[in-house]
Amino acid sequence: MKVHPPKYAVHFLTFFLKQELQEEVLGDLEEAFYFNRKKYSPRKARWLYWYQVLNYLRPFAIKNFSSPQIYPVMLSHNIKISFRTLVKNKTYSLINILGLAIGITVSILIGLWVMDEYSYNKNHEHYDRIVQVMRKDVATEGIYINSSMVGGLGVELNEKFSHYFEYTALTFFRPSEQVLSVDENSFEEMGYFFQPDITHILSLPMLEGSRNALQNPSNVIISKSFADKVFSSENAIGKTINLNANVDLIVGGVFRDLPNNSTFGDASFFISQALIYNDENPYVWNNYNMKLFALLKPNVSIEDASLAIKDVMEPYRDEWWSDQRELFLLPMKDWNLNSTFENGIQVASQKVQFIRLFTLIGLVILLIGCINFMNLNTAQYQTRGKEVGIRKTLGSVRSSVASQFLVESFMYVFGALVVSIVLVYLLLPGFNEISGKEVTLPWMYPEFWLASIFFSLIVSLIAGSYPAFFLSSFNPIEAIKGKLKKGGKNVRFRQILVVFQFSISIFLIIGTITIHEQINHAKTRSMGYEKEGLLTIRGRNAEFAEKAELLREELRKTGVVDEVAFSNYPLTNTLGNNGGFSVEGSTEINNETFNTIYVTPEYGATTKWELVAGRDFSREFGNEINSIILSESGVAQLGLTNPVGTELIAHNNTFNDQSNFTIVGVVKDMIKGSPFSNPVPLMLFPNVSTNRRGYMFIRLRPDIPYGESIVSVQESFHSVLPDHPFYAHFADDQYLAKFKSEEQTGTLATLFSSLAILISCMGLFGLSAFMVTQRVKEIGIRKVLGASVTNLWLMLSRDFARLVTISCLVALPVAFYVMNLWLQNYEFRIPLYWWIFAAGAVSCLLVTMLTVSYHSIRASLANPVDSLKTE
Amino acid sequence: MKETKLGDFEETLLLIVGILGEEAYAFKIAEEFEDQLERSVSIGAVHSTLNRLGEKGFLTSEMGAPTAERGGRRKRIYEITAEGQRVLKNSRDIKLSLWSQFPAFADLKFNLG
Repeated sequence: MKVHPPKYAVHFLTFFLKQELQEEVLGDLEEAFYFNRKKYSPRKARWLYWYQVLNYLRPFAIKNFSSPQIYPVMLSHNIKISFRTLVKNKTYSLINILGLAIGITVSILIGLWVMDEYSYNKNHEHYDRIVQVMRKDVATEGIYINSSMVGGLGVELNEKFSHYFEYTALTFFRPSEQVLSVDENSFEEMGYFFQPDITHILSLPMLEGSRNALQNPSNVIISKSFADKVFSSENAIGKTINLNANVDLIVGGVFRDLPNNSTFGDASFFISQALIYNDENPYVWNNYNMKLFALLKPNVSIEDASLAIKDVMEPYRDEWWSDQRELFLLPMKDWNLNSTFENGIQVASQKVQFIRLFTLIGLVILLIGCINFMNLNTAQYQTRGKEVGIRKTLGSVRSSVASQFLVESFMYVFGALVVSIVLVYLLLPGFNEISGKEVTLPWMYPEFWLASIFFSLIVSLIAGSYPAFFLSSFNPIEAIKGKLKKGGKNVRFRQILVVFQFSISIFLIIGTITIHEQINHAKTRSMGYEKEGLLTIRGRNAEFAEKAELLREELRKTGVVDEVAFSNYPLTNTLGNNGGFSVEGSTEINNETFNTIYVTPEYGATTKWELVAGRDFSREFGNEINSIILSESGVAQLGLTNPVGTELIAHNNTFNDQSNFTIVGVVKDMIKGSPFSNPVPLMLFPNVSTNRRGYMFIRLRPDIPYGESIVSVQESFHSVLPDHPFYAHFADDQYLAKFKSEEQTGTLATLFSSLAILISCMGLFGLSAFMVTQRVKEIGIRKVLGASVTNLWLMLSRDFARLVTISCLVALPVAFYVMNLWLQNYEFRIPLYWWIFAAGAVSCLLVTMLTVSYHSIRASLANPVDSLKTE
Repeated sequence: MKETKLGDFEETLLLIVGILGEEAYAFKIAEEFEDQLERSVSIGAVHSTLNRLGEKGFLTSEMGAPTAERGGRRKRIYEITAEGQRVLKNSRDIKLSLWSQFPAFADLKFNLG
């Protein structure tokens, strides 16, 4: 058996030994090895080889690892040449670097955004152990996942399952802003009414006071930013804050604000739930008005705890609603991105879809920048070809020529990285505004820099590999002679890349127009009431509802108000749903629900709804407790043809303590919920009690400036309710607020499509310049022979126009398919107008022709003598 | 300025290079050293010293022919320069003169040509 020197020893030796010594030393050691092999065992011979290798660890023999000697000598040369090329072609370098920089900027911004989404809630110390209790109802129509819980469950889990849960805390299902006042100043702030242990669950970072402060229901704990706002530099602990002009609370603690990217990041305060339920027991088993959060014990798995509580709610199930009711726990890591369920299965939430979509768009924009680099470099094949020829004749192998081009692309990408980091820094505030985030550039983290450099390496490989591969393939003799073939695969490939760029651009333009059209469509849709000049004020305490009539009278006396009405729900949501109605004379109970609200008789006059049939409520008819008004879709839902005068019977609930009603009027549908949804069937009952007046609506006179009216309204309001905070919202503002998410998409889409087309055009600008320089003699000769400027312009632009036309053919069907899919998300949507596609194609073609024409017209106008005299 | 003194180990190696002639390359030199002096030495140590002697100008070297037992690699053959011969002779003269003055050995007859 042949014995070889130990492999690793050889590797090690060649690793550290100077290049020029390797042959003789390897030879000597191998000779010594076989010499020893004759005398000793193979084992000993190998051992002796190692001994000899280690004895070469001497200064004279070790490579100088710090000097550039170890790197290919060509590197510094490559960098030098790259730099010279970069400076020589300033326009093309600028196009390349800017295109790449825009792509990288977009990628970094999107990357930061995605990282922010994925670090959601990670600020909490017990991130891994915090859970939310969820409910799964299996019904015949499907499986429903819901987070609304009964109060009784919270108590049950806390008492009987304490071996699983360290803490539990209930809060109201729908948190809302509350008015906190200190002395004369009041603030509308977001905060939560929780059971006291929430502070431990969230491991709330207390700056002052203790986490047990909420054990006392008359305490409030407030965020640092809120404390600074109301108490400035004073010590907040022990100060009094008034809640909703109703109760005085004592500040028991101040916590450091939770970060924006956490579920409770908007909390200015936490108040004990016991404050509201001080005398009645809220912890019942039949009212699903709470959310339940918990902290698992350290060694309890989520699966085990889920299994343990699975059947707790089963006994309380409503037979008519579901066949099976299970509880399970949703871990905190899923709250932000994985809490959307469809038929009981976790599906990608809208946020995740957004993240995927924009990551894709970011990468595509970066790719468009890379394509510019590829095209501009390969287009220069004639000049660069000579360089390659000379290199090859002087003995360069293909790989070293290719490495020159790769180094060049890395220099461009690195330059672009520097530019884009500056850009990101400048754009971040604007980006945060659009995306509603508080993202910062992680300057201080080495990971960020490492990731950036790694990313640049990848980008430069993508951008540089094709030019490197293509340009290094030249035959030196042909290259130096200038006999390189013009057309062929290279041109075709470049054309494909251009088509790709423009297909993306056209697609993005069409997408942007569609999104804006859709938003506009919903914004201008008929609302069923007049949203201009309509104020809403939310009542915060019992006094507000008690003094409703007085308020109305006083407000009308100001002269700036046309009418005032009250209801138990605002115009901006569709809360309050009830079902179980049947039409008189029919035994069939309608199984759909209606949005049931109570309104004072002037509701119609105040909102200026449109009466279609019958009459409005009116004080003339006294306490018309058996009258109701339906919206058109409500009438349709009941299948009535002649609704006015029809009697309805309520089977599940009573309204105004009545069960029999007569329809007295029908109104046009009112859009109270999502502006993109079909109208919710509305059923209005007259408000006859002093309760259910939580919202006041004020119709301002249109002929008086609203700014002035508001002042009079506030004065009058405070004359009736001196302590009640005055926060009035215009209905049209509130309506516009519902477009936030769509507007965000729209703005980002506009931004990205303009960037895509900008980069694409920059590339085309460079390409057309090349083409014109290559054909400058041809143009000269044609001109001498009598070609007109128009002829020449057409000839030069035709190729590019053809490419854009092909791009249209690619992009239009894809855009049609995708935008159609997107619009399916909305019940109320535009049809895909043909003009949107035409606009996308035509605008792209126009921009292209403008870009290309700059060079082609200039070349056509040039004096042929200048281009021909050198021949 | 180059160091031109000759250490003991250097002197021995220089002599062995002279003895081995055409076969004076690192592995053979180390082997010869071990044979003659009955002391073990690593090739690296020998190589390092040969390298130093080369820098001092006492040795020159060139690549020889490749042989099979070295995996077809060439070896570096060392050769003493005139300067090397001179320091060797110089060193021997000094030592002889010292030996001859050493009373304990004064009677002994040295036949060192």
